[in-house]
Amino acid sequence: MEKTMNKLIKTIGFGIVGLFSTILVASSVLADGHSKEVNIFSARHYDSDVQLYEKFTAKTGIKVNVVSGKSGALEKRIIAEAGTADLYITADAGRLGAFQANLQGGLTSSTIKSAVPSNFRTSKWVGIAKRARIVYFAPERVSGAELAGLTYESLADSKWRGRLVIRASNNIYNQSLVASLIKNNGKGKVAEWSKGMVKNMARAPKGNDRAQILAVAAGEADIAVANTYYLALMLSGKKGAEQQAAAKKVKPFFPNQDGRGTHMNISGAGLVKGAPNKANAIKLVEFLLSEEAQNHIVNNTFEYPMIAGVSPHPLVVNMGLDFKQDLKTKVVNYGKRQADALEVMTAAGWK
Amino acid sequence: MTRYNIWFYISLFIAGIVALPIITVFFSFFSETSNYFTLLKNTFLFDYINNSLIILVSVLVITFFIGVISAYFVSFYDFPFSNFFSWSLILAFAIPGYIFGFSIIAFFENYGTAYTILTNLFGEHNYNPLIPKFDSLVGSIIAISFSLFPYVFVLTRSSFLFQSNNYIEVGKNLGLTEKETFLKIILPSARPAIIAGLALVSMECLSDFGTVSFFSVNTLTTGIYNSWLSYDDLNTANQISFILLIFILLLFSVELYSRREAKYHQPSRGFKPINKIRLTGKKSIIPFLFCLTIFFISFVFPVTQMIFWTVKFPKYFQDIDILKINLNTLYLVGLASIFLVFISLLINFGSRISKSKILNYLTNFSISGYAIPGVILAVAFITFFSNLSDLITNNFNIGNTKNLFIGSISGLILAYFVRFFSLSFNGIKSSYEKINNSIDESAYLLGYSKVKTFSKIHVPYLKNNIILIVVLISLEVIKELPITMILRPFNFETFATQAFVYASQDLLEAAALPSLFLIGWSTILILFSTKYILSPKN
Repeated sequence: MEKTMNKLIKTIGFGIVGLFSTILVASSVLADGHSKEVNIFSARHYDSDVQLYEKFTAKTGIKVNVVSGKSGALEKRIIAEAGTADLYITADAGRLGAFQANLQGGLTSSTIKSAVPSNFRTSKWVGIAKRARIVYFAPERVSGAELAGLTYESLADSKWRGRLVIRASNNIYNQSLVASLIKNNGKGKVAEWSKGMVKNMARAPKGNDRAQILAVAAGEADIAVANTYYLALMLSGKKGAEQQAAAKKVKPFFPNQDGRGTHMNISGAGLVKGAPNKANAIKLVEFLLSEEAQNHIVNNTFEYPMIAGVSPHPLVVNMGLDFKQDLKTKVVNYGKRQADALEVMTAAGWK
Repeated sequence: MTRYNIWFYISLFIAGIVALPIITVFFSFFSETSNYFTLLKNTFLFDYINNSLIILVSVLVITFFIGVISAYFVSFYDFPFSNFFSWSLILAFAIPGYIFGFSIIAFFENYGTAYTILTNLFGEHNYNPLIPKFDSLVGSIIAISFSLFPYVFVLTRSSFLFQSNNYIEVGKNLGLTEKETFLKIILPSARPAIIAGLALVSMECLSDFGTVSFFSVNTLTTGIYNSWLSYDDLNTANQISFILLIFILLLFSVELYSRREAKYHQPSRGFKPINKIRLTGKKSIIPFLFCLTIFFISFVFPVTQMIFWTVKFPKYFQDIDILKINLNTLYLVGLASIFLVFISLLINFGSRISKSKILNYLTNFSISGYAIPGVILAVAFITFFSNLSDLITNNFNIGNTKNLFIGSISGLILAYFVRFFSLSFNGIKSSYEKINNSIDESAYLLGYSKVKTFSKIHVPYLKNNIILIVVLISLEVIKELPITMILRPFNFETFATQAFVYASQDLLEAAALPSLFLIGWSTILILFSTKYILSPKN
């Protein structure tokens, strides 16, 4: 009896050990120890980015490992897995700013400094591409006179009552926009402004930026707030013929031209604390700021280039390039004022 | 005595692993929280609870009506395609709530598929104001209801199958109409099965993450996630988890209790199978249309939408490495199945030969892993292994051990193990208990060792059951979203994560291809398993 039991236990023991080691070996083979590699946690996962990383690998022999996901979950894993991540890539300066404590300085090479204007970078993170958050309107229902001198601030005016669509307050683009307003006007004024915005909404916030533009095209609202690249994306036909036709019914308007300029934001990369492949990470960032990579980015994502000398996609050029960008409000403020921004929006009942 | 100890320790170890998330959550309930919890209590918490309750109640009402009525029609009546509906309505299981959500948005949004159809039919016109818009809450309710109603349908249907025709005849003799028979006899006697189905629906509904997060509705589950992510406040996350867990454990006990009740309702002697009433002509229209509508909405609609997109945007055939995702999925499914089935067999066998009661309690306790929403499990998992690794690093001179279980296949498999252990363990247990102990005794008399009894007698007897369990595990792993999303390694996607990543990036049309594969594999697995589930002998 004892004997058979021992035999059984042994079999089982070996079975378990065998299973575990199979799994461990298998997973270590999957994440095998390339010395020439760089680990990216990316909240921005366009297929075109993957093609870009492939180009980088072909050039340098450095393998690019990517895990993508929503920014929040990625940030948690970067912290929990300390010593794994090299770069954190995301599509909003507010995110990078709020994650500052887990990033390290080092993005200070002359290549980076000369490529990126100082208001779009810190030593811990740099912008890779730019986008503007602007107003879209239906020319059939909104006249030039009505729009003249429009600012983000004046979107809360009563003349827009029931005519405006914008995303929910949990959206990071809105949080960054409102953070920049707080930086420029103070929290108290922006709290009042948020209340005005809520009154002006044609419907409770829902959907993404593209859905806001479509709502204007469909006649649900007269004006919408959304990022620049969405309109170009629809106009390109990549979203189908219907949306291409719909996008033509809507026109872009760049606010605050008489003052500080239109709200700008970035897609950016942050250098993670304890990055095991710091040098490779810096190389990758420098590559992303090269003319070749910038051309690839702007032609696939319809963003504005970060460096001088590269032209945006023709559809973006058509939207107008001679607008005044807000270069006065440093994008680091988006992270700093994020909590205040969320607080005033929530207090105003902005869903 | 030693043999008791060995099985005791093995079971204790397994139970301990499965209970990790609950223990982690429980202990952090008593730790300090930031003032976010106060803020939350004052502002959002009420909202979270409110949304969770609205969704829960609506989903329960909808799944009850859809599930029970369709089960009633296919069990008691013979109408055109009634046999087809009796299995095809289960296919809704192949569509996770979040994919159903993608379809709703794609179809009804401004300039969406409905608009395209209307334009093609009636020419250019602004149809957008005419197309109904489902806001986030309503959208979530519809998506969750149609992806979960099969729980009610399957359980109610199998309870109807076992209902004796005698009862119905009694009803007839008492002069009851068909409607009265249904309300006064059939429905009450199927009550435990219906409640069990609804309890499962509730658990799944409360733990849903993909759907509500896609529609950006704040519920207790997304609240946990947000407080963890946006406010870096794990304790608050765990405290909300605790509230949610109380909800869920309550439902879990309701389900267990109803199951026990259901046993007493199974007929023994004098069982007469139901004589289905044949419906023709006008009378057959209502059940036929009802079942057709449900089948259409729950399965045909999302599948067609995904096919439509895949065909309309063929560029993603090149952009998505679909072969690799297939292999990844196969890899996960294979490892998870082997691991789960092996341990489940082991514990069941140990429990059988040691005849220990403590084991029963332990194994029952370890089942709780299923009751925990995947997203909480993933949160607790990272907390636990992050702390454990710090402890090891600080006390022993070993480097970083975090990567062993966070962001690795082994971690993913371990998390699946915790989540699906009850499915696998209980599935095998129910069959194992049917093997009479005297068979073991006879085997020993013939000189069989325990190992030989296990491998030559038990395993062959359990073969079909094991196949079924592997199918169910595969189905769950393929559809699983939050755990995989949060814990997966570099350069690793499953159909679910790939689809969700695209969807959250406003690339729903790119999400179509992985979604379609997910649905395809799930459908095959469901069709395969209905062969087992639907055969009355099981």
